[in-house]
Order: sequence, then C-alpha cells, then structure tokens
Amino acid sequence: MSKNIAIFLALSALLGFFNANAEIVNTNVERTLDLTSQLVKTTTRISAEDAAGKAIAEYVFFVAEPSLAYIAVKDSADKNVQVRKNDEQSFTFTFPKASAKQTFVVETVSSKGILPHPEEIRQNDKQFVRYIGNLHLYSKYKTNAQKATVKLSSSNILSHTQVKPYSVSANKITLGSYENVEALSQEPLVIHYENSSPFVTVNTLERTLEISHWGNIAVQEAIQMTHTGAKLKGSFSRYDFQKEGRSGQSALKSYKTYLPASASGVYYRDTNGNISTSNMNSGRDFIELELRPRFPLFGGWKTQYTLGYNVPSYEYMFSDGNKYQLKMHLIDHIYDNMAIDEATIKIILPEGCSDIKLSPPYSVSRLPNELVHTYLDTTGRPVISFTKSNLVESHISDFTLYYSFSKISLLQEPLLVSGFIYIIFVITIVFLRLDFSITSHSHKD
Amino acid sequence: MNRTPKMLNSKVAGYSSLITFAILLIAWLAGFSSRLFAVIRFESIIHEFDPWFNYRATAYMVEHGWYKFLNWFDERAWYPLGRIVGGTVYPGLMITSGGIHWLLHVLNIPVHIRDICVFLAPVFSGLTSISTYLLTKELWSSGAGLFAASFIAIVPGYISRSVAGSYDNEGIAIFALQFTYFLWVRSVKTGSVFWSAGAALSYFYMVSAWGGYVFIINLIPLHVFVLLIMGRYSPRLLTSYSTFYILGLLFSMQIPFVGFQPIRTSEHMAALGVFVLLMAVATLRHLQSVLSRHEFRKLFIVGGLLVGVGVFVAVVVLTMLGVVAPWSGRFYSLWDTGYAKIHIPIIASVSEHQPTTWFSFFFDLHILVCAFPVGVWYCIKHINDERVFVVLYAISAVYFAGVMVRLMLTLTPVVCMLAGVAFSGLLEVFLQEDSSKRVGTAIHTATEVDETDDSIEKKTLYDKAGKLKHRTKHDAQQDTGISSNLKSIVILAVLMLLMMFAVHCTWVTSNAYSSPSIVLAFHNSQDGSRNILDDFREAYYWLSQNTADDARVMSWWDYGYQIAGMANRTTLVDNNTWNNSHIALVGKAMSSTEEKSYEIMTSLDVDYVLVIFGGVIGYSGDDINKFLWMVRIAEGEHPKDIKESDYFTDRGEFRVDAEGAPALLNCLMYKLSYYRFGELKLDYRGPSGYDRTRNAVIGNKDFDLTYLEEAYTTEHWLVRIYRVKKPHEFNRPSLKAKERTIPPANLISRKNSKRRKGYIRNRPVVVKGKRTLK
Repeated sequence: MSKNIAIFLALSALLGFFNANAEIVNTNVERTLDLTSQLVKTTTRISAEDAAGKAIAEYVFFVAEPSLAYIAVKDSADKNVQVRKNDEQSFTFTFPKASAKQTFVVETVSSKGILPHPEEIRQNDKQFVRYIGNLHLYSKYKTNAQKATVKLSSSNILSHTQVKPYSVSANKITLGSYENVEALSQEPLVIHYENSSPFVTVNTLERTLEISHWGNIAVQEAIQMTHTGAKLKGSFSRYDFQKEGRSGQSALKSYKTYLPASASGVYYRDTNGNISTSNMNSGRDFIELELRPRFPLFGGWKTQYTLGYNVPSYEYMFSDGNKYQLKMHLIDHIYDNMAIDEATIKIILPEGCSDIKLSPPYSVSRLPNELVHTYLDTTGRPVISFTKSNLVESHISDFTLYYSFSKISLLQEPLLVSGFIYIIFVITIVFLRLDFSITSHSHKD
Repeated sequence: MNRTPKMLNSKVAGYSSLITFAILLIAWLAGFSSRLFAVIRFESIIHEFDPWFNYRATAYMVEHGWYKFLNWFDERAWYPLGRIVGGTVYPGLMITSGGIHWLLHVLNIPVHIRDICVFLAPVFSGLTSISTYLLTKELWSSGAGLFAASFIAIVPGYISRSVAGSYDNEGIAIFALQFTYFLWVRSVKTGSVFWSAGAALSYFYMVSAWGGYVFIINLIPLHVFVLLIMGRYSPRLLTSYSTFYILGLLFSMQIPFVGFQPIRTSEHMAALGVFVLLMAVATLRHLQSVLSRHEFRKLFIVGGLLVGVGVFVAVVVLTMLGVVAPWSGRFYSLWDTGYAKIHIPIIASVSEHQPTTWFSFFFDLHILVCAFPVGVWYCIKHINDERVFVVLYAISAVYFAGVMVRLMLTLTPVVCMLAGVAFSGLLEVFLQEDSSKRVGTAIHTATEVDETDDSIEKKTLYDKAGKLKHRTKHDAQQDTGISSNLKSIVILAVLMLLMMFAVHCTWVTSNAYSSPSIVLAFHNSQDGSRNILDDFREAYYWLSQNTADDARVMSWWDYGYQIAGMANRTTLVDNNTWNNSHIALVGKAMSSTEEKSYEIMTSLDVDYVLVIFGGVIGYSGDDINKFLWMVRIAEGEHPKDIKESDYFTDRGEFRVDAEGAPALLNCLMYKLSYYRFGELKLDYRGPSGYDRTRNAVIGNKDFDLTYLEEAYTTEHWLVRIYRVKKPHEFNRPSLKAKERTIPPANLISRKNSKRRKGYIRNRPVVVKGKRTLK
C-alpha cells in the first residue's frame, strides 16, 4: 500500500515536471488497428524526441478505447518498458535507458470497442459492426507525422471517415499521413463494415486448480458465455441453418480450446451432463479440443459449461525441501480472440499448507482465503482465490504460488482410512461378543 | 427345514457362513455391475421421465432442507395451478438419497446428489438380494435363499426398474417389500413382538417409498385370513398381526400423501376386516376354553354370521356415505383390464399400464418362469404357515403381473424365490452326498452343496475358473441311489440352463433396459461409428439458457418432468397427470387449428410450445404418433370441439400424407411438427417432406405460421420449440373480401321510428320503363 502511495506521489511530481517541460514531440507515429475480430488490437509505433534535446526517461500515453484490457510496450531493442497506470486511460512509460530519441511500440488490446450496428439482425443477415475511435493518436504531445493502417475482417465496408489522404484496398484502409497534429487533438474515426466473426464474450470464468501432492493437478473451468454481437431478430430456422450457407454466419458453431499437452481425463459438460459434441486432437505441444456448444450461439444467446482436465503436477510444481512453488497459467486459452469479463481463480492447496504467498503476473484483486473440505479432510484445505476483470488472450501467463508443506502430512489420509476400518472391526468384534438381551437364551433359534 | 445343525462343529459352520457371505457379496456386485450398462455406454445421467421429477425433488430437498421440501409448493408445474409437492409425493426415495448425501457430506465426501440418485437403485438391488435371501431362507433353506438372491440380482424383470439412472420409487420399494415380507414371516414364525414391530417399521419405509405398499397391506391380511380358514390360528399369529397392523396403520398415516387413506379407502379395508376377524377368532378361542362345546357352537354360528354381515354392511354404508372413498380408477383397471380403455384414456395411454403379453414373462424371467411352478408345488407339498404366505404371494402377483406390465415388478421377487426353491430342491436330489454318512449332516451337506453349486453358477457367470465344479461331479459319483451318469447329466443340464439364464439376463439388460431414453445412440451403417443423438438435452438446455426465467412452456405431458428438471422452466402439464381436464385443455390446443389454439394458449399464458418430431431421423416415439391420445383425452373433456373421428380418413386410417383428414392436416400439432419440413429433402433422390417415421410424404407442405414462430429446432429436428407471439407481434390474417363486413350488432342507429328513411325532396321517382314525372 505504502509503495503505491509512494509511486503515486512520484507520479504526480513527474506529471508536474512534464507539464512544465512538455517538450517531447512525436516525430513519427505509425498505428495499426486490427479490427478483424471482436477485439480492437492496436500496435502503435512511436518515435519521440525531445525538442530541447533532453533525455526522455518517461512518456505519458493515452488510450482512447474505453475498455482497455491489455497494454504492453517494447522499446527499439525489443525490451519491455515499464508501464505505470495513472488512471483508466492514461499510462506512464519508464524507459530502461533515457535518451533524447526514443522509439517504442505500444500494443493494446481492448474489448467492447466494436459494436454491432444494426444491433439486431435476422438469421440470414450479415453482421455489420461499427468501430468508433480516433483518427489521430490521442497524445499528450505534438505529433509531426502520423499514419494509421486499419485491418478489417472483410472488404465489405459500408462507410468510414474520409479525411484525406486515405486509401482503401480490399480489407485495408490506410489513413494519412497527417502532418503536424497538435497535442490532445481528437477527431473521430468511424468505420462501419461487415464482421462475421462471432462476438463471444465470456461473462464469468471460474477456474479452479486443485493441487494434490500425490502427483495430480485437477483443473476445472466453469464458463458462462454470451454472443454479444448483433442479436438475432425474429425466428431461428433450422432449415435455413442447415441448407443455406449464408445463414447464421456470425453464429458460434464451434471453437477450439487449447489445453496443455499433458492434460488427461478431459471432460466437457453442463448441468444436464456430458455435452457429446466435442472432438479432441492431441498435438505435440498442446491438445486441441474442438468444442461445440449444445446449440449454435446466435446473437444474444447464452450458454454455460464446465471444462475440466488433469495434469501431472511435476510439470508445474517445484520443491526445495518443504518449500514448494507452483507455476501455472492464471487463465488459459478458451477460444481465439477471447474476451473475458470477469475471471475468478481458485487454487485449492493440500491440507496443512502454510506460508502461502501469491505472485501474480499482473495486478489482481485478492479474495479472502477460505477452507474447503473434500475427501478425507479434517481441518480443510486452504483456498487462495482472486479475481480479475477484462481479460484477453495476452493475459495468458504464469502466476507463482509459494507455500510450504511437510511431506509427512501425505500419510495422514491413508492412516485415517486404515484407522477407521480398524476401529470398525474392533467395534464389530466387541459388539458381537456382548449380549444385550434382557432374557436368557433358552429359546433362541 | 434346514435349521443350522447344532451337531456340526464350528469349523463347518464358519465355512458355510463364509460361503453365504461370499455369494451374497458376489450377487451384490453382479447386480450392481450389470445395472451399469447405461452409465458406461452413456454417462451418469437420470433416465426417462419420472426419475427427473424425483431427482428434481431430491435436489430441492438437499438444497432447502426437509421442512421446506414438505411445504414445497411448486409453481413451476401445472401452470397456473401449481402443485403441492410435499403432500403429493412418496418421500421415501428423496429421504433415502438425501440421507446418503447428508451422511457423505458429513464425512467430507463431496459427491454430487445426481450421482447418488443415479447409483441408488443399483446399490439397493444388493440389499434386495440380501433380503430375498433372508426371506427364502425363512421359507425354505439357505441354499434356496442363495439361489433366489443370485436370481434377483440379475433378473431382467427387476433390472428393468433399477438400472443406474432409473431413479424411481420402485428401485428402493422392492427392497422394502422383500424386507417387510421377511420380517413378517419371521414374526409369524416366532410370534415375537420385536419382529412384527420390525415388520411395521419396514412397512412404514415401504409406505413412504411407493404406492405399491397397498400390495403389502392386502397380502398380509390375506395370509392371515387364509391361515384362519385353514385352521392354522395360533397366538403367534395374533401377536404378530395385531402388532403389525396397529403399528403399521399408525406409521403409514404419518406420510402426508397417505394421510387418512388407511382408514378411509376401500383398498385398506381388508386389513381392518381381517384384524377384526382375528380378534373375533381370538375371542372365540378364549371363550371356547371357558364355555361348553354346545354353547360355543351356538355362539359361534350366530355371532360369526352377525359379525360378518355387520362388517359387510358397515363397509358398504361407509362407502356410500363417502366416509370410505371408493376405489380409484387405477385400482379398477387392476380388476377389469378393459376399464381404463373405456373410462380413463390417460391411464390407458401409458404403455406400462397395458396388459402383459406372455412373451414378456419369458423375456423378463426366462427360465425362472418355468421353474417357478415347481417351487409353488414344493411349497404346497410341504405346507406350513410361512409357505402359505409365499403361495398367496405367488398367486396374487401372477394375477397382477398379467393385468399390468408394470406389476411384473412385484412378480419378479416371488418368482426368484420359488425358482430358487425349485433349483435347490432339484439339486438336493441330484447332488446328494453318500447316504451312508451321518444322518444328521445329510441335510446340511445338501444345503452346503447347494451353496457351492450356487457359487459355480456365479462362477460361470463371471468367467472365473470353476474349481468347485469338479468337486460336485465327484460328489455326485459317490451316490448310490440314482445312477451317477444320470446325476451328472441332470446337473450339467441344470448348469447349462442357469448359464443361459445368466447370458439372457445380461443380453436383455444390455439391449432392452439400458437406454437412458433422453440420449439416443445409433450406429452408423457406413463406417460403424457410434453416433449420439443428444437433441433432447440440446433443446432443454437451450430453453434453460435462452428463455426468460418465468417462461411457460406448453408440451404434451410426457415431457413435463424433463422440462422442469433439465430446462427449469414452468410447464403446464406433467407426468403427474393429476388433473385430467388441464391435460385435456393442452390436448385440445394441440389438436385445434392454429387460430383456435392461440386463444387457448393466450388464456394459459403460454410463451413457448415444445413438440417432439421424429420424422427426420425416424424416431417413433414422437408427438404425431402420440397424437391420437391427445385427441382422445381432449375429446373426453371437450366432446363438442374435438372429435376423434375427424382425425381419421374416411376409411378409418390415421395418415399424415395428402389423403389424411383435413382436421389433422391443419391442427396445431401437425403444423408445429411439419413446419418447413415440406422443403427439406432427406435424400437426393427422394421427394421433399418425406416423413421417415410414418414413411409418407406429408400432405400439407406449404403453410406458414401466423401466431407462432420457430424459436429453436434441434440438430436432428427431434425437438422443435416455437414461441407464441404476443398479440401485437403478428399481422392478423387477411379476411376474404366477402367476410369484410362490419358486424351490424354494434351499430346504433340514430334514426328514430319517425325518421326511419331519409329522403330527398322533389326527387324524381324512377320507374323502369316509364318516363320520369316532373
């Protein structure tokens, strides 16, 4: 907490400093907007220099998209640049090496930036979507020259903002270059085009990792998803869906999920039992799972399911005496270009774990620890849980969990079972040798 | 007959009980595992229709607790009436699995309630075979008991109701039935209050579990009655029956669904009558010991007649006054198989209420059905108190099983027991050891050999090496009474029969009784792969995910429980079938034209209509094939609007093709089933709109729906769901020009009697052919 406050203070100081000496100029900006899926993926290559020739150590970057999920910055040497969040829309980059000229690439992914327009379509209609963004890079600094390339999912473009110079070729729009754009200038960019890729959002993901020191990690993901593209208007016709190729183009029929190569015992089910429409192909590096929901997901339709599998723990668990370290994906791939609204991750550790410390790859909000009782538990297993909202594929990275566990505790459960059976036998033996009747046994048959 | 021989040393007794224990354990395991076909082929899932309600109720009880369950008013069923669930179910099943669930969770074993429900019946089949063993042991010998236990573990007649996933009352009720009978026979034998109180407790469990408890409460009095007639009265009988009856009566009235029925309905009157009779006999017996013979005879005749007439009159009068309810319809159909067909179509429409074909006796019982009369004969030949019971049990069960397919279930245990007696008797003769041995042990060894032989039977079942087989042959050769060749031939023949029985049982279980019926599997003829048709769950899951939480779904009553259980949506009618007129209303909506049924549907607030249509894949259990029952049930309540004959062609055929009756081709069910089916070509060469179930090209191909729209149809068209449009959503159908008149009824003329006719002054009067006058 105190660290955050310190950062905040430093930040405000720095902001003040830069405001006073706003002499950074973007000499060249190249933006690439990838609008082919439901996500807005931007790659912005910025070359900045200080007009006064001072070394640039920090750079403030604004994000125009309302629902930013992921941001990463790399400098010209392909090294990660430290990103500090000021608020939802503004970030401060701290370069590893301050110099008068900085060239770096900012990658952002944001969800909900592309909205279906019209919002409701019939089954056989195409899905058109609208992207509303900025024509220029919304920047704190003056930009000398900038150019934007927009990649679309199809060449069927209904309309787009036409500020010269621009050119359209198939599914690509090139905008610019625009010279001498003032700082903080905003001009809208609207593109209305056909996008038939299914807009599917995972509303809630509940990922449970159950660790067993007998060599197994059970992974379970409970997923609730909605098709957030254009809603289906009117009736659904199975006949059209089966017979006409153009019917239900934007519906989600099936998708691929990638699991770790060592996954075994995969199950795919919902509250009504096994969903029998799935295929599994084992690759060398991963298992490809082709999942088909029970029904094709049209705009506005929802479904939920549970996917689970086991992985051997030796791939993810490292130990040093009683100290253990668990390294696993915080979230895993669900479908390409996924967008997750809210993910809850639960890690169930074996009974008797202590000194638990979590180090997530990015900031998450911790939930209070719980205890869960399953097979043969006495005191209960500690559960570490945390949530994170607005996740995309780029968030697939490892967390590390440190804890200590004494190996002797492994014997607790077998001993419990054998003790229990032993006691049953003893009780039976004693009971059979006791006589509870109130009369003598002369008439017993 | 074969009491534990006191003369034997404890070593033999130890072996004997070890063998008994082992065989019962193996029987349990065999019974359990042969019920798992469906789980292995498909998955751990609740089957069919009624189990879905039981499962839903159990899940509700586990979630909300017992008292909430008792007071549960289910507003999701029988919309808009609702259903008081707590008071209209036999809660034994839910309590049993809920109790197991509770126990496991106390022990921190987080088993899902669904898995408990799925595996409850297979687990209880083991208990059933143990209680069958106990009962047969009481009746005959422990060897026969082991036979009976092994038989009932795998006999198809019982498996049909107790495969994994078939979570129904019968699954636990047969155990309760057998166990009650065991305790009853025990108590008659010993005359002990302990055993008869135990019988009453077990009866209580049975009452809480299944409506078939009526069978117990009539069979036991019948037993007592017959014993009285046979002059087999004993104080033991008096003790056991009076304890059992009074305790059982009080216990059974604790079940909310049963309530006051045991003292008010005719089904239970026999028990009361026998109780009174038994008391009378006991009194007479007592008087007999006090009075002289002449006095007694006089008193007996007069008193007996008076009491008999008095009881009869009382029952008749009470029935007429309505204090004692008359027989229920389902009960009548037990006596008169034609009753239901005429009076209650809804009972007759259920396939399990049909009379049994002789074929199904063999199918469900195989060799046992042949051995069973032998057992009866043995019992009659060596009659005693408890064998009277089993003979009565056999006779009544045979009768009931002949009336209704469903009651095959009550026949099965007694057939197993008596077949066990028969086989045991047979082997006793042919497997007898050398008679020169000690007389006291002869009987016992026969029993023991029975047991070993039984284990051979088990061994042949499970492909284990039969080591004991050689021993039995060896034993047989030692005998001097019957030629050893004959003996071995007979034994081999019997073993063959038993083996074939086991094979048959497994085959029947695997082929006939192990389909969950909500998941269908078929084998692709081209590449031999196994395909799964999961349309039911597809549709129900769609309903549960993509309709409003309070959406009301209209479907035929067969699917009510499944919709409630899997889709968790409100239904109008379900498998409970307690309200015939409501079902008839749904039937009427299905069999009327779209326009008329729209009125019914709006009055019932229907949001979605679900129909099952098998025409694409050739599934025969679909709604069109059930349609005549809908018409019949609707006709029963609305004879003016619906007539069954309208749905047949002139030649009395039920056809869906172009020659079909117009009423059929335009009714809602037809339209919903075949909507846009006329465009579908299943084959490249075949015509479009070819119905594979009825092997006909449909008659009404080109039509549109006005008041409904297709909301969802599953992959193989098996389930079709339609949304009922709200009044503002559809264009009213255009009227023909001549019908486009404003009804004059609403027009109020401003003209009074004086100004009836408007006129124009100086208007020329035109008369044809004449010049106008000016």
